[in-house]
Amino acid sequence: MGDVVESDILRHGAFEYIRIHDYSNYSLELFMAYDSVVIESNNRDFVEKLVRSIRTHNHTDVYLKPIFLLKSSKVEDPLINNLIDGVIFSIDQLELISDYVKQILLRIKDFVFVKSISLEAEIISRTINLMVSREKTELFAYLYLNSGLGYIYPEASIQFSPRDEHNLLSILDTAEQEGLFTSDFNDRIYLCTNCETGILSYREVCPKCNSANSKAEDLVHHFSCAYVGPVSDFKNAIDDELNCPKCNKYLNHIGVDYDKPSLLHTCNKCGHKYQDYHVKAKCITCHHDNDVENLLPRTIKNFYLTKKGRNVAYHGFISTSKDFNEIPGTVRFDVFKTMLEYEIERLKQNDATSNIAYLTISNAGELYSRIGIERQKILISEMIRILRKNLRSSDFIAFYSASTLILSLNDIPTKIANNILNDVVKITTMLLKKNFKNVEIHIETFATPLNIEFSHEIQLQQLIKRFETES
Amino acid sequence: MDFIAQEVDYFFHYISEVGTSKLVRIFWFFVIFEFSRLFVIDFLALIFIFIKRKLTKKKRKEARRQLFLYNPLISIIVPGKNEGKHIFKLVSSLKEQTYKNYELIIVDDGSDDDTEQICKSLKKNNLIDVFIRNEVRGGKASGANTALRVAKGDFVIHLDADSSLDRDAIEQIITPFYENPDVGAVGGNVMVRNYKETLATTLQSYEYNDAISIGRMVASYLGVYRIISGAFGAFRRDALEQVQGWDIGPGLDGDITVKMRKVGYKVVFEDRAVCQTNVPSSFKNLTKQRLRWDKSLIRFRLRKHKDVFIPDENFSILNFLSFLENIFFTIILNIKWYIYIIDVVINFPGILGMILVMNFFLYSCSNAFKLLLFNFFRERKNSPIYIYFPFIPLMVLYHGYYLRIVRTVAYIKELFFKSSYKDEWNPEKTSIRAKQIGI
Ligand SMILES: [Zn+2]
Ligand SMILES: [Zn+2]
Ligand SMILES: [Zn+2]
Repeated sequence: MGDVVESDILRHGAFEYIRIHDYSNYSLELFMAYDSVVIESNNRDFVEKLVRSIRTHNHTDVYLKPIFLLKSSKVEDPLINNLIDGVIFSIDQLELISDYVKQILLRIKDFVFVKSISLEAEIISRTINLMVSREKTELFAYLYLNSGLGYIYPEASIQFSPRDEHNLLSILDTAEQEGLFTSDFNDRIYLCTNCETGILSYREVCPKCNSANSKAEDLVHHFSCAYVGPVSDFKNAIDDELNCPKCNKYLNHIGVDYDKPSLLHTCNKCGHKYQDYHVKAKCITCHHDNDVENLLPRTIKNFYLTKKGRNVAYHGFISTSKDFNEIPGTVRFDVFKTMLEYEIERLKQNDATSNIAYLTISNAGELYSRIGIERQKILISEMIRILRKNLRSSDFIAFYSASTLILSLNDIPTKIANNILNDVVKITTMLLKKNFKNVEIHIETFATPLNIEFSHEIQLQQLIKRFETES
Repeated sequence: MDFIAQEVDYFFHYISEVGTSKLVRIFWFFVIFEFSRLFVIDFLALIFIFIKRKLTKKKRKEARRQLFLYNPLISIIVPGKNEGKHIFKLVSSLKEQTYKNYELIIVDDGSDDDTEQICKSLKKNNLIDVFIRNEVRGGKASGANTALRVAKGDFVIHLDADSSLDRDAIEQIITPFYENPDVGAVGGNVMVRNYKETLATTLQSYEYNDAISIGRMVASYLGVYRIISGAFGAFRRDALEQVQGWDIGPGLDGDITVKMRKVGYKVVFEDRAVCQTNVPSSFKNLTKQRLRWDKSLIRFRLRKHKDVFIPDENFSILNFLSFLENIFFTIILNIKWYIYIIDVVINFPGILGMILVMNFFLYSCSNAFKLLLFNFFRERKNSPIYIYFPFIPLMVLYHGYYLRIVRTVAYIKELFFKSSYKDEWNPEKTSIRAKQIGI
């Protein structure tokens, strides 16, 4: 948490802007208190990093924040350009943008934020929220060097690290199937079979040993003596004439006394001679050398938001129809709230301890994109099954987000509630380890006794605040 | 039939009256050339070969042991145009070989069918080691030379695409190189795969079985073996490179053999190295093929390699004899046959019918005798010999008239019109050049 210098709080009309320099000390949560962020920097990396961390922030009050760039030149970078709301050249221009800021903030006010149970749905709704708040209807793909695919969809791709960006393509396809987008063709790309990134280096290699170290020469056929050999056989040290090593005649006229029927490559590593080189695509990311025939083809489309898609921002989007509609063993979040309210009422009459708790996968983004959406669902169902086995029927569970469960553990001491949660963590971690190599899961849990003095709303908010600041 | 019976009856009546010398006078052609060649040359040679094999059995075994000990790489080269459909069968028979250390090189000489696709997919599956595609056709010699250029083996086996090999064919054809270090090239024994297809193929199979195969065994033994069949032949790669590969055809099979012999290598025939191939199934195509073969004899023996007859420092008596034998049994014999016909027409006009029938009878007997006799000397039989029995008389017409007439036409065309340069077998561009420089 940095201190805000008074001079960096800019006021114009009803709005307060916070100005950030590349030397500023700031925390993202700080932005919640202001209506808009003004970044004053010519340092591209700094700008990108800041814009990225704002737009990927968990809190709606941060990630939808209007962002302006205060600098002397226009922005060329498609990622930054699509994620900021404008460029001003001096502070005086705040006046020009205040109306625009007002519209954005007004639209956001009408949004309904629903925490979804799947990463898929969460990515879709975050992308749409960002677009609708800016009245954008087009989600275009831009050629981008620092992308894992070579293409980015700025509003959506930032949710992923470059290595995991390929997951976005199927998510966007799902969104299209749900009728949230229409699309047209932009380009076709090919991805590494090992890591599904698209930055590849293509080389012609020897079909025997895969070495790219080779030389190519024309084969020359001398008609009158049927000699066939590379051009170099016909060259001499004295002049430019080509003469036949077999019959000593000069080659005069291509097509008349000689021709060049084919091109021959000679491998400098293994000596193999070949005509049909293999083309291999070496992955810059993971160094895997792909056979080009096996590369994974993907279509890059440009997407257009539909009316139904627009409604996602105003009504929320919990899951795609591909997700399970309701995971057995859980209740919906609003139902959870009501039940929690009743539990506090019950505690007021009984001398007992009940607890609320959370269980959150702190590396969910990374984990889910590693294991893929299908297995993510299996993992979640499995985790719920383990939980249900360790809990009693009077306890209840709800999804707060794709990575966080909220629990109410009733009629047990808090210490035991924590023990139960720790057991679940152990079992889940073991399960994951067994099924996925090289993938780690980090689960954090916390249980706290319900306080009958406070409303369920306040206690829930405190709990949520706790894990949001933790992660 | 009555006519023939009458003539035979008349014949027996006739010979009971005239003496042996008169008979020889009438049937001199048969007596001198057929009878003497069969008994004096072929049969004796076969017996010697038979004995020699028994005596050198150990040497042969040792040569084979050395082959497998040194395990040299063998480059199998298959140049051709539009041969894609045959390649898979060839590849299958190669996979079955007892000798495994080989590379397969296919040169597609400007095919305009799906050969390229077939070969590429075989290559992808590692059934072909090197595949070279020439967009424009260059002819058989340039195709073979292209393959030779990329070959890495110590030995090169030239195969036609529609050949397939006996399981031990490679081992058998390479072994002679280890029996005698002077051997530069070995011809394989070509057998007819489609011998049941038509009358033409059955007759050719008979011919390959007897005249060609046995003829080559004898020639090889006598040191005058001339033509390594393009369908299946093996060469030392250094020897091939020394003679700078194949020259433009047609007849390049015979030509490369002569070139090898000229630089001092021994060329032998190996009847135990067996390959099967398809022969022309119609007389029309057979005629085309034989015209090409016969023309090349004139072109190569009498024109290109006429220096073999000149006694200079490169003169070799065996090469000289080989050419002489070749020319004698083909060109001279052909001319003599016409002399014989004229002789009997002029001198025995009254008994012409009897002479014809009798010649037919004599040759049939001789054929039957050969068929049975040679059978003892064949180690590997393509087909049971009884299937050939019904064709014995037909073979008299095949050898005596059909092949002879084709040969005559070919000689005339080539001697007087150099018509081999017009053969579509070579691309026109190469033939023009070859004719200009007189090869
Ligand atoms: Zn030349
Ligand atoms: Zn190589
Ligand atoms: Zn990769």
